[in-house]
Amino acid sequence: MKKIKYVTKVKRYNPETKESYWQDFEVEVEDSLTVLELLMYIKDKIDATLTFRAFCRSAICGSCAMIINGRAGLACKIQAKDKIKNGVIKIEPLHHLPVVKDLVVDQEPAFEKFKKVKPYLIPDSKVVPDNNKVESLVLPEEFARYDKQTDCILCMACYGQCNALEGDEKYLGPFQLTKVFRFIMDTRDGMDVEERIKLAEDHGIWECVQCQMCLAACPKGVKPGDDILELRRIAKDTGKENIATRRAKFWFATVFETGQIDKWHLPEVAFGDEKGEAITEKLEIEFKNRGMKEEEFGPKPFPGIEKFRNFIKKLEKEL
Amino acid sequence: MKKIGIYPGCCFQGADIHNYDITTDFLNRMGVEGILLERAACCGGGVIDETNKKIVYGLNARNIALAEEKGVDLYTPCNTCYMIIAKTKLALDSDPGLKEKINEILAEEGLEYKGTAKIYHTLNLIRDFIGMDTYKSKIQRKFEGVKVAPYYGCHVLAPNEVALDDPENPTVLQEILKPLGVEVVEGYQNEQTCCGYHARFTDPEQKERLAIKPLEGAKEAGANVVATPCPLCHKAMDGYEEPILQVTQLINVACGATPKDAFWDLNKTEIKISFS
Repeated sequence: MKKIKYVTKVKRYNPETKESYWQDFEVEVEDSLTVLELLMYIKDKIDATLTFRAFCRSAICGSCAMIINGRAGLACKIQAKDKIKNGVIKIEPLHHLPVVKDLVVDQEPAFEKFKKVKPYLIPDSKVVPDNNKVESLVLPEEFARYDKQTDCILCMACYGQCNALEGDEKYLGPFQLTKVFRFIMDTRDGMDVEERIKLAEDHGIWECVQCQMCLAACPKGVKPGDDILELRRIAKDTGKENIATRRAKFWFATVFETGQIDKWHLPEVAFGDEKGEAITEKLEIEFKNRGMKEEEFGPKPFPGIEKFRNFIKKLEKEL
Repeated sequence: MKKIGIYPGCCFQGADIHNYDITTDFLNRMGVEGILLERAACCGGGVIDETNKKIVYGLNARNIALAEEKGVDLYTPCNTCYMIIAKTKLALDSDPGLKEKINEILAEEGLEYKGTAKIYHTLNLIRDFIGMDTYKSKIQRKFEGVKVAPYYGCHVLAPNEVALDDPENPTVLQEILKPLGVEVVEGYQNEQTCCGYHARFTDPEQKERLAIKPLEGAKEAGANVVATPCPLCHKAMDGYEEPILQVTQLINVACGATPKDAFWDLNKTEIKISFS
């Protein structure tokens, strides 16, 4: 077996001294190690005090999520040799969670938020039989609507990489919101959609910045960012009105009309108040001061726009 | 002369209309002929999904088809347009059924998505289409001693399948900045934190909280200016204490444009850097 030499840079935390520091471990190890096996090697051969959480080594228990070279993932699923950049692998604990020791974080704050969204089935008595002798049937095409979302193993990689949490530590978090979507889609769930949406709104779906980091982080290919867009759609379609739903409706309407979003009127429509009107007016003054012609203020339909509108209508109907 | 299709997203519109001039000037200086894809439509901006996500695939299949009709690749300077259009390309190229269905609808406009056009953003355009040697040969003057903090923005590095560089260790922006004679400031606090642009009309306070973070990190690390390829990041982060420019605004000046021609004067936060 081929051996390779590199530096493993680990962000450590000592809870007794409350000291946080980077430590370099020089290793010469087989090139076939996973990042978890690398950490186990260091603990075994170099420093027994190095602390990390792990269990199944098979990317299913979700214990060993950490930040490797700035990106969250499962240590047991990632080959160490693929992560050596300029002779170094950098390993840190997940962001946005209190560090207990070294790479071990306290998952409780994220679980507390998880509990808030009621992440369980509330059986619909019209669908779910009242005795356990009859199956509660879910058709394959019904399950397909949330099949992928059930792959979540609660490893918190998405949470540890989330930019919305960078802006607001009270933000619910990506996997929590995926769970809301999963139960809204479940034909057996009896909780009102509006109620589920309400749970997803409190420091939730409207704070997401759509950075795509949760999609990049998930070791199971779940896409919380996409589920959040679906939750916003459902919120809008169930009658919710706020800055975001007004923006979404206006966005689609102006793209349908002209091919482009009308950014000139977007503030006044989205805010829907004097503040929004003031922003749009300020834009107009800026346009005039810059000597722009009125037709440059907003988008105009391009030639053949009728065909484009038909195209959109057909996409809505046939795709 | 090499040709490229310019995809007009919302970053060329209204208060950002000058971004089109920055883009065409940049292409001219690089010796590339830009061909405007006139009937192109909004990429969806991550917002049309909130009406119907399937429309987004259709819109961008059509956008790419417009480039293919002209026999050119598609170029957008916007991170988000790049990410969404590249995602569509991946989806269509890996799902013949979806491609066929969309092509049936596209046929009524006389268009076809073939999958031949490549999707470019400023960063991979310079690296892979223009070429680093050609790029360097166009630079006439340098920003000696100016400290520049590279800020990639999210959508050129995530999700992983459309990342245009190694998302864990991206170097392309630094490699583009170095020939401008600047001192590249790396590893500053919050250099990978999102600018928050896409929360502007969903939770404006969230946008404010985020936009300032990378700027503060760059300032603390001593950067004179932050350079981003993305017009949306620029829009979100301009107006705070630390100045930010689009990397093409620096490139155009390095290639001979006046700062006014590169629209530095439209920045809310004044740019005070010198060049030889």
